[in-house]
Amino acid sequence: MTVARHLMAKEWSALGASILAGLVVLSLMSPAFLTEFNLYVMLRSFCVVLVVAFAQMLTLGVGQLNLSIGALGGLVAIAVGGVMEKLGFPIGLAVVLGLLIGAGGGLANGLLTVRTGINGFIITLATASVFAGINLGVTRSIPFYNLPPAFVAFGTERFFAVPYLLAPPLVVAAALGFFLARTVPGRYLLAVGGNPQAAELSGIPRDRTIVFAHTLSGLLAAVAAILAVAQLGSAQPTIGADWLIISFAAPIIGGAALTGGHISVAATSLAVVLIVLIQNGMVLAKVDPYWVQFLLGALILAAVGLNRLRAVHAETA
Amino acid sequence: MTRSVPAGVESFRSWLLEQSNLLSLAAIVGLLWAVFTALAPGFVSSFNLFAISRSVAIDIVIAFSTMVVLATGGMNLAIGSIGVCSVMLVGYLMQAHGLPVPLALAAGLVLGALLGFANGAAIVLSGVNSFIITLASASLFAGGMLILTKATIYNGIPREIASFGRMRWGFVSPLLLIALAIGAWLLVLFRYTALGREILASGANPRAAELSGVPVGRVTVIVHALSGLLAASAGLMVMTWLGAAMPSVGQDWLLPSFLAPVLGGTLLAGGMVSVVGTVLGALLVTTIRSGLLILQVGNFWLQLFLGLVLLVAVMLDRYRGLYAERRGLERSP
Repeated sequence: MTVARHLMAKEWSALGASILAGLVVLSLMSPAFLTEFNLYVMLRSFCVVLVVAFAQMLTLGVGQLNLSIGALGGLVAIAVGGVMEKLGFPIGLAVVLGLLIGAGGGLANGLLTVRTGINGFIITLATASVFAGINLGVTRSIPFYNLPPAFVAFGTERFFAVPYLLAPPLVVAAALGFFLARTVPGRYLLAVGGNPQAAELSGIPRDRTIVFAHTLSGLLAAVAAILAVAQLGSAQPTIGADWLIISFAAPIIGGAALTGGHISVAATSLAVVLIVLIQNGMVLAKVDPYWVQFLLGALILAAVGLNRLRAVHAETA
Repeated sequence: MTRSVPAGVESFRSWLLEQSNLLSLAAIVGLLWAVFTALAPGFVSSFNLFAISRSVAIDIVIAFSTMVVLATGGMNLAIGSIGVCSVMLVGYLMQAHGLPVPLALAAGLVLGALLGFANGAAIVLSGVNSFIITLASASLFAGGMLILTKATIYNGIPREIASFGRMRWGFVSPLLLIALAIGAWLLVLFRYTALGREILASGANPRAAELSGVPVGRVTVIVHALSGLLAASAGLMVMTWLGAAMPSVGQDWLLPSFLAPVLGGTLLAGGMVSVVGTVLGALLVTTIRSGLLILQVGNFWLQLFLGLVLLVAVMLDRYRGLYAERRGLERSP
């Protein structure tokens, strides 16, 4: 009983159990599930989703939200693809440019939010429209296909089941974990998210921390976009168009409170694993892809309900 | 400093200051109409005026759907999904079962209200932010609709629907009158009814409202059901315009649904709505869209413009608020 209660108190225990159950069911259901190629496919789709989830997780951590992650990602994707195809930029330079655009977009979000004091929801709704508008206006919905072979190869090559593409997200995850747990700006970020007034009274530069979190969020959106371009082998203007629900789903299923201050790199990563498992399971079961959308919504509601149940338990215990 | 201004003028001035948001919004709309007409005389052609009246009607109802939830300090990201669910149900009932038009439309409206009710109930029961609940339910509703309909387009619906969408009363579509009638009803609701005051009270300060006997939970559920009903109405208006029930309805509603109420002075924090402001905000959105279309700027840049308008508007609003505050402070001693 106490063990069960202890396990229930851990955010990731339900997640871990769901993932285990999913693994068992899927490997029994389909012999194709545990093949090297299918594992590679899953790990590959894990990469972009993970970084997208982290981008949202940071703004949630500071008590904000960012609706512009997908739009900013799309803008970065076409910028990186465009300068490589049309202007012949070397890969390194194009990637740096993309990261700068991402961080710049995030910085703009942060500054606008802090300076105007307007709800981040409205600000990022507006900037999302601006980013997507620039993207569509420049590309007229036409993708860039002629990317350097080395760049495209990075998106497809693998070591047995492990895609090369997995390296950057793992580095990002480790860096984020360290940043949030061990560095002063990381602790500031969580403190501001947890209780802005208390943080400000203890001398934490609240506005600067919010701007910083938005900038990092934009930077991660750019990382996700560049990974997506490598994965697809072309810079599609539609990259990021379907990131909104996933960006919130993973951190929330991972237990991030929308009020801020409470995020976990590990739990968010596990939530992404679960989402990828579900997507893969739907493909293997040859079900309508629409089920993924339906199940994502249901999963968020279930996670929210479970969190609520846990809170009630904690109160009565 | 003493002022020798008659009381009447002074109160007129404070009324002007209060209405400055609406007046400046109306001025901007007027200015844009002048600019677009000067650049492209086709802007005020009877054909374009009709097109504007039809699309502003839809924008107004979409905006109302968000506005009523904003009044309680919540939000509803699921209005596009609710709208499309209603449209597809109506299309299915008419095409597959030959249900009479009024009955099918009523079923669509009821479905919208029910989905909204489900949102409200989930928010109140879970105690979770309406943002998360409606983000999840938006995905749930749209996904469920696609699973059930397999993204079929119902284009065999009765002709009356499409001919109603094409109907013209002078320059205007009857849809605009429907939208304005809904607006008049909402104006009465928020100004003169106990429910309207309760909605605003729960938005302004939920705790105080609860303590003074307002059933905040019930109000939240009612408001979400109302929002769902309005979203369904907007969806059905789009259906008369398309002459078919399409699964793509509602996909681009998010931005305009927030744009119009926020431009019109409805606070995101809740407790204040402006029905007239929302109508003007929707008119501004439609004007920009139609103007850019007729100037052949291209649909691709539209989104950029709408985003910039929203940014500039909220920033102006912010600085006007600060200015008014400062003036108020100067005067108060």
